[in-house]
Amino acid sequence: MKATHVFEAENTVAGYDNEMIIQGVSLVIPSNKISVIIGANACGKSTLLKTMARLIKPASGNVTLDGRPIGKIPSKQLARVLGLLPQSPIVPEGISVADLVGRGRFPHQSLLRGWTQKDYEAVAEAMDLMDITALANQSIDELSGGQRQRVWIAMALAQQTDILFLDEPTTFLDITYQIEILDLLTDLNRKHGTTIVMVLHDINLSARYADYIFALQKGRLLAEGDPSKVITSPLVKDIFGLECTVIKDPVSGSPSVVPIGRYHVNHEISP
Amino acid sequence: MSSSTDSANSINYRFNSFAPRNFTLVLVICGVLLFVCVLASLAFGSRLVSWNELIDGLFHSNTDSYGANVVRKRVSRTVFSLFCGAALGVSGALMQAVTRNPIADPSILGVNTGASLFVVSGIAFFNISTANQFIWFALAGAAITAVFVFGIGSMGRGGATPLKLVLAGAATSAALSSLVTAIMLPRSYVMDQFRFWQVGSVGSGSWDSIITFLPFLIIGMLLGIFSASALNALALGDEMATVLGIKTSMLRLIAAVAAVLLCGATTALAGPIGFIGLLSAHAIRLMLGPDLRYIIPLSAISGAIILTISDVIGRLLGSPGELEVGVVTAFIGAPLLIILAMKLKVRSL
Amino acid sequence: MINNNSVKFIMAGRRKRRRRWILVTGLLAGLAFILCWTMLLLGNTIYPVNEVIRVLLGEELNGVSFAVNTIRLPRMLTGLLAGFAFGIAGNTFQTMLRNPLASPDVIGITAGSSAAAVFCILILHTSGAVVSIASVIAGLATVLLIYIFSRGRTFSIGRLILVGIGIQAMLNALISYLLLVGAQQDIPAALRWLSGSLNGSQMHELPPLSVTVLIFAPIIIMLGKHLSMLELGEQMATSLGINTDKTRILLIVSAVTMIALATATTGPIAFVAFLSGPIAKRLVGVGLSNAIPAGLVGVNLVLAGDLIGQFAFDVRYPVGIITGILGAPYLLFLLIRMNRKGDL
Repeated sequence: MKATHVFEAENTVAGYDNEMIIQGVSLVIPSNKISVIIGANACGKSTLLKTMARLIKPASGNVTLDGRPIGKIPSKQLARVLGLLPQSPIVPEGISVADLVGRGRFPHQSLLRGWTQKDYEAVAEAMDLMDITALANQSIDELSGGQRQRVWIAMALAQQTDILFLDEPTTFLDITYQIEILDLLTDLNRKHGTTIVMVLHDINLSARYADYIFALQKGRLLAEGDPSKVITSPLVKDIFGLECTVIKDPVSGSPSVVPIGRYHVNHEISP
Repeated sequence: MSSSTDSANSINYRFNSFAPRNFTLVLVICGVLLFVCVLASLAFGSRLVSWNELIDGLFHSNTDSYGANVVRKRVSRTVFSLFCGAALGVSGALMQAVTRNPIADPSILGVNTGASLFVVSGIAFFNISTANQFIWFALAGAAITAVFVFGIGSMGRGGATPLKLVLAGAATSAALSSLVTAIMLPRSYVMDQFRFWQVGSVGSGSWDSIITFLPFLIIGMLLGIFSASALNALALGDEMATVLGIKTSMLRLIAAVAAVLLCGATTALAGPIGFIGLLSAHAIRLMLGPDLRYIIPLSAISGAIILTISDVIGRLLGSPGELEVGVVTAFIGAPLLIILAMKLKVRSL
Repeated sequence: MINNNSVKFIMAGRRKRRRRWILVTGLLAGLAFILCWTMLLLGNTIYPVNEVIRVLLGEELNGVSFAVNTIRLPRMLTGLLAGFAFGIAGNTFQTMLRNPLASPDVIGITAGSSAAAVFCILILHTSGAVVSIASVIAGLATVLLIYIFSRGRTFSIGRLILVGIGIQAMLNALISYLLLVGAQQDIPAALRWLSGSLNGSQMHELPPLSVTVLIFAPIIIMLGKHLSMLELGEQMATSLGINTDKTRILLIVSAVTMIALATATTGPIAFVAFLSGPIAKRLVGVGLSNAIPAGLVGVNLVLAGDLIGQFAFDVRYPVGIITGILGAPYLLFLLIRMNRKGDL
């Protein structure tokens, strides 16, 4: 089982140049759970994720891991605890799947040594988990979008971190692959205890797969907690500006948002 | 988003028949500058002539002072550089319109170098020696290079984007100028006086070359000016132009022929001179807006001014010898390329 | 949890790619070795191998000693070092900026160093350390200028390349001007500073370049893994534990220093920096460090180009003309391929 960590943001303000997108967020990431950050476009979901993963330096406030500010932890050491899969990672042309996954081993490797037995094992384990071992020697250019996403996640897994951040891991994927990826991530959490924090677009999938939800609005944390507590129609109205009814997902029992627009509202069924 | 508002704006001025607001002012400025640079071109050089010598050389054909003779020699050079500048200016404006690409210019697209290579090959392998023969070889080289570069630059997604065209032009140009050097190197004793096929110069301009050049200049100019208003419609896109009743391929062909005639003939007599088309067309565009009916003819004037001034600068900087004008124009023109690159939207690269 | 068959399968594939890398790199080194010897043996007179070896071991042989020690050996060593420097530095830029077109000779860095060297040699009449330092500073200044001009609101590699081409054109004009003012309008000097040549290489010019290559090439080779992380993009590299700013500066300074010293010695040998990386990548495959193969391809290009230029025609062409003619078709080929794939 992965180690337990105290990972928190304290009154964090962050953004680009002079535009502060995150305006004072304090939160504690629930260890060994799946957390999902939700919110409308441009509310700062990705920025929050990137700030917590030290890709953006906070303008004020602190992000600490086990009590140490993440900026003070040596980069490679931090990379053995915290991994991040960006929204659109860049694929080197023609690279083989195994070599790409192997690049996730960087924080565990020394300057000049080649791959050790441990590296091979970590890569094999990650690829088995994502079910892409058979593709190991193929060029990544030949893969479908869903397969590629699994390769990237395998790479993050090969990094063997206790905490894994994912920025919209399901965008650009068909619904079938979305479910597949989310199931695989849940496997990872349930089997290994990996703490997962991700940004997701789809509020219903968030509600289903999250153990814990952070709801952002305009750079501030509006609500957090168990999906069944957080996802309510007033809150959805606050976050997205959308009228809706929240029903019980007939499959999972988690809350499910049914939007109310100006048309197709049948008053005989809904009040 | 912005491109749709751009074209909405452009419809307004592209199809009104009134002259742009400051048209007269620009014309006056151009006239004054033209006069100043002609004077400068006559007066400055490795030997500075006095006002009296200048007047003597120009108007008193019986005066035989040294200074007056220097001035007479400079007259043909000045006329030649005015014509070359005009041709290159219009050629650049036409290439920008045909490729719908702000960064187009005979030199950036490698067309000048192509013309140069053909002339040099002609001299080396076919014993051509007259200005007339040079021109036909140069035209063939320019046309082939233009088709080649545009062909490569417009492959793939997005057609001929500025970046693709510039790269295709730079690559072609590098290859061709290596070939020019390779052909000239063993024959450097013959070609010493023709160094301008590597870097252009108007130093060899004589009345003979001017007369040979003139028909090409006139035909090219007329074709360019006549196609200007149709090119305005082309600026809105091929589909829009077709809807407006324009045969786009025919128009492209005519405008490209005009551009090739102008830059090919210039290169045959003066060698590859860069960036004039870029500088002159953008200078006019900056002052008068994007209406090609003004840009194309006025680029002739601005091109003439810029080339002649550059030639004067080259003579002053290189004194007692001279710095080829192609070097000067590259030094002045390249910053504009950088500025244009900075202004381009990422998407349109 | 760990499936041994998977480990074995992945290991086998990786070993296969590694074997190919070793084989190709070995072949490249072998070819470079042969070319080096050819450089020593060929010339106006062809000397037998044993005589050349004896001369190299310090023996005095009439005629042979002079030709080998003062002409051929310095020429060969200069080509070897400059080729390696151009190849490895070009590959570093191409990989870091993730675009084969972003090589120092396409975006004007080489021209910057060249202009500084011309200025020092022809105008200030200095040589040695001053030239080296000036060309390094000019190379770094060019990088800085390109960076400032291409930054814009959002960074784009396309803009960087366009800006670089513009800077290149300006610098070449400047070089032409300096050649004129320096009264070195003769064609050999012009060719050296505009397209690169090994003519007139001398032993005493070698130490700065060799020291530079010995210091900075190992740095780049050691940072091979870091470079391959940078290739995955800023965010990925950071989250894998790379200090991206530091790494990038270290790589740029190393690459530019090598380019600058090589340029100050031979002039900007056309397209070697541009060609070496992509050719090496095609030969050794993707995924393993490309630095050493790229350096070796650079060596082979320069030495082979110089041999062709010296002996293939009636006239002696400087190496830059040969690589210029060879390189441009490849650039066009690359453009066509990139256009097809929609990478531009």
